Amino acid sequence: MSPALLAQGLVTGVLLGGVYALVALGLTLIFGVMRVINVAHGTLLMVGAYVTFTAANGLGMNPLASLLVSAPLLFLLGVLVQRFVVERVVGAPELQGLLVTFGVSIILINLALRVFKPDIRAVTYLSGSLTLGGVAFSVPRLIAFAVAVAATAAAMLFLKRSRLGKAIRATAQNQTVAVVCGVDVKRIRLVAFGLGAALAGVGGSLISIMYAIYPEMGSLYTLKAFCVVVLGGLGSYLGALLGGVILGLAESFTGLYVGTQAAEAVAYLLLVAVLLVRPQGLLGERRQ
Amino acid sequence: MKGRAAVATIVVLAALGAFGATTENTYYLSVGYSIFLYVALASSWNVMSGFTGYTSFGHVAFYGVGAYTAAILMFDHFWSWAPAFLAGGLAAALLAAVIGWPCLRLKGPYFAISMLGIAEVLRIVGLTWESVTYGGTGIPLLSALSLRGFYFLMGGVALAAVGVTLAVSRTRFGLRLLALREDEVGAETMGINTTAHKLAAFVLSAVIPGIAGGIDASRVGFIEPISTFNVFITIQMIIMTMFGGRATVLGPVIGAVVLSVVREALWARYPYDYQALFGVLIIALVLFMPEGVMGVVQARRRAAKVPAP
Repeated sequence: MSPALLAQGLVTGVLLGGVYALVALGLTLIFGVMRVINVAHGTLLMVGAYVTFTAANGLGMNPLASLLVSAPLLFLLGVLVQRFVVERVVGAPELQGLLVTFGVSIILINLALRVFKPDIRAVTYLSGSLTLGGVAFSVPRLIAFAVAVAATAAAMLFLKRSRLGKAIRATAQNQTVAVVCGVDVKRIRLVAFGLGAALAGVGGSLISIMYAIYPEMGSLYTLKAFCVVVLGGLGSYLGALLGGVILGLAESFTGLYVGTQAAEAVAYLLLVAVLLVRPQGLLGERRQ
Repeated sequence: MKGRAAVATIVVLAALGAFGATTENTYYLSVGYSIFLYVALASSWNVMSGFTGYTSFGHVAFYGVGAYTAAILMFDHFWSWAPAFLAGGLAAALLAAVIGWPCLRLKGPYFAISMLGIAEVLRIVGLTWESVTYGGTGIPLLSALSLRGFYFLMGGVALAAVGVTLAVSRTRFGLRLLALREDEVGAETMGINTTAHKLAAFVLSAVIPGIAGGIDASRVGFIEPISTFNVFITIQMIIMTMFGGRATVLGPVIGAVVLSVVREALWARYPYDYQALFGVLIIALVLFMPEGVMGVVQARRRAAKVPAP
């Protein structure tokens, strides 16, 4: 293993991991507050990707500027899904949350198939790479990473510092106590799902400048996000960030040393392995 | 009541048999086959997840492994159909035993996610292990039986699945499963070996999907990993069971019959939107009828037994 290859693997992995962390933060946020596993998370990401595709290829917008559209749009979509569907299964057995979010997911995929056709699309934006000390930095990935880190930092700051963010964390920790303290948990759930969807949407916009997009791309990212969240511990914010980077690195090194097809399976293998060895995740607390 | 149920069962079976033996309409035969397939799949899912409460969100894994086992044995090793289908069931049972041992220690959402992950891993194995599975190219198969033959064969498998559910629901084994669903620690305290019971239910619920997978591969005449390990197959097993009523004998049967017909009708009428319409249906069922048809019937019956004050 040459040091240059090692460095390349590290760089690729970390850049990828930043975007995974952003997407997974949204999933873990939703799970923490609602105790619902959002199977539609990857599909929300797909919607974000198509928002950028439409804005860039249809309206000639700068793909990065399209984030200002995809984030609020996905927030709104998330609020609607929460208000009319997910809110009704909060507190029900987990199967119901899985099923309704799956229902939402296939409705959105079907709509995307109707509007955008099943074709594989791409957003063309900055290509090429910078070389630094023998290590190549792909420009789109570098930008996606920078934006993902900024968005993740903003979301974390919001959760840690703002009143609303504190109320969200309080609700995730103990809903009853939150209610007693005067938190309007129903509103908190709306904001939490909206924010989670917005993070997925931003992730989708960033993924669209790196990879090809298609209406059924969501399930792949749903599972990757599951893997990240389980790695870090369901409901743990820092765990999601750590898990994202670990998955990014695992994929990049498997891609380098084993092959790209094997890299695709890494997320699932990691998911199953972590569940078996340490189901509470790296930073999660063991609970009954 | 018992005598009447037996008579009704015999009448329904005789009618289905007479229909299958005489009809020349291939469309009805294939719809009948597809209903039997889903009666078998949904009933099997119910044995595990309906009774124990452990949501298998990747039950298609057993269907797929059965399909691939049977297909490879028939295509590469020239097995005849009957032993190949049975081998499919055996392979699924083995898989259940191997993954059940570690996965069944997981609770609630963790078990559901692990099963989803396992079904996805198998899909990728199917795509990448080309020397055995032929990857994305898939495996072409000669149809082992006539359509009528498939109708009766799958009908028999469906009947077996309902029989297994009936046996489970009438024995102490089934009661113990229900006990551990309601309170696992409590069941353990009562002296039930919950791990052994969960594992037994899991293996039992895998055999029939494995057999059905092999039959279906031969019926379709071609398999490839993406459509074989399709999460939508799992979702249908779940939603059909929920529609009818989980942990009941008739529930999955009612769900499979009604929703298969609905699916066919939606698919024929709205080929481009049927997925979305099925999504709406799933959401509506969960939100408005979480206990299913049998749940509503049982609630009525209980209400009728209690004299009005």
